[in-house]
Amino acid sequence: MKKDLISIDDLGLEQILDYLDLAARVEALPAEKKAGLLPGKILATLFFEPSTRTRLSFESAMCRLGGRVIGFSEAANSSTAKGESFSDTIRTVEQYADVIAVRHPKEGTARLAAEIAGIPILNAGDGANQHPTQTLLDLYTLRKFFGRVDGLKIALVGDLKYSRTIHSLCRALLAFDGVAMTLISPESLRLPGYLTKAAAGTTATFRESESLVDALRDSDVVYMTRIQKERFPDLVEYEKVKDCYRLEAKMLAGAPARLKVLHPLPRVNEISPDVDATPHAGYFEQARNGVIMRQALILDLLDARP
Amino acid sequence: MTPQNILLIPKIERGFVIDHIVAGLGIPVMALIGRRPELGDAVVTLGLNYKSTRMGRKDMIKLQADALPERLLQMLALVSPGVTIKRIANFEVVEKVVIQVPELFDNLARCINPNCITNGEPHVATRFKRLESGSKHFKCGHCERVCSLAELAGHLKA
Repeated sequence: MKKDLISIDDLGLEQILDYLDLAARVEALPAEKKAGLLPGKILATLFFEPSTRTRLSFESAMCRLGGRVIGFSEAANSSTAKGESFSDTIRTVEQYADVIAVRHPKEGTARLAAEIAGIPILNAGDGANQHPTQTLLDLYTLRKFFGRVDGLKIALVGDLKYSRTIHSLCRALLAFDGVAMTLISPESLRLPGYLTKAAAGTTATFRESESLVDALRDSDVVYMTRIQKERFPDLVEYEKVKDCYRLEAKMLAGAPARLKVLHPLPRVNEISPDVDATPHAGYFEQARNGVIMRQALILDLLDARP
Repeated sequence: MTPQNILLIPKIERGFVIDHIVAGLGIPVMALIGRRPELGDAVVTLGLNYKSTRMGRKDMIKLQADALPERLLQMLALVSPGVTIKRIANFEVVEKVVIQVPELFDNLARCINPNCITNGEPHVATRFKRLESGSKHFKCGHCERVCSLAELAGHLKA
């Protein structure tokens, strides 16, 4: 039976840990050995909405495994612009490729693609719903920095209301043991109640705070997010909150050595460039881990685990 | 049954009684029956707001038909779960079934999320899975949006 990766909710803890282990094995392989793992295989990256970073990460992952990549980077460049249905696009492209990574502004598209296609589907983001490869690379990054995910103290900062990355990460962290999450956001961008309620019956905890400075002293990880202008129906509201949490190098002076700052990128103003040179900056390594995790996932879905 | 009830909604020789409809839902249930071409020739009687020991008030529908379409039964589970279907032969109840909320609604309703792909591509069959046994909340099998039974009942497909 073919495999897909559609939603972090489809994965149990055991499978998440298996993917983290697989990514570590892939990372440890010499580059020349990796480059021979998927000769002749083709990844189609179907991006119905722009996302340079995720698309390039998938493409880099496939190229470094010795495979090749076809695809498009926005709906205007696809047959959708001519009126083709999403279903027909998937049915056609599956004839051209061995695995598909799909991003689409509508929720549920990756699941639909998986139902239609006879080849594996990777969800590269479906509307406001899921972005499971981002979640897995975030977990991989945590485990690389700390050797564990259990028991970490993680401050989530910025747009907790609309951030698909944050929602998926929270849901995944609930599966681990004793993760303490501190929520720091403007009132209008708080984490949805259904997510905080989901902690009931788990060993995870949520608490709200307004102070980024306090979080820097008392956390293992500060996970920053961009306030997403495109999510605001009223730009006046966006202007009120856009720069409410900005991390600068001088604020990290009293932070514990272990503290890592993560960000799914792209950043705008929420992390000052002077943070990059501090030992706390973890976001570029996080981006690198994205390629490794996506390599692991492509290999797993194509039944080509090393 | 009181003489007044007999006058309002007489016994049928054969067919079905949809009983224990929550008062107020009789007309929406009638609308479901009206959608089924298989029941186009059926004689249908609607009774509203009867006194009921168990429910306080209830609605009731009697259909003189040979069979109830499967899709009608599925839609009843969505619009008015808990109703009792009684099959009647020779004026007697010969079978009684209570319609329960199922674990899965298969292509009965549209997703409440306007940005769900199933609303963009209406030929796609929807499915809504119950969150957990006993829950009245369901999760879209595509966009994963959670909605209530009542919300789904407001988004019935044809």
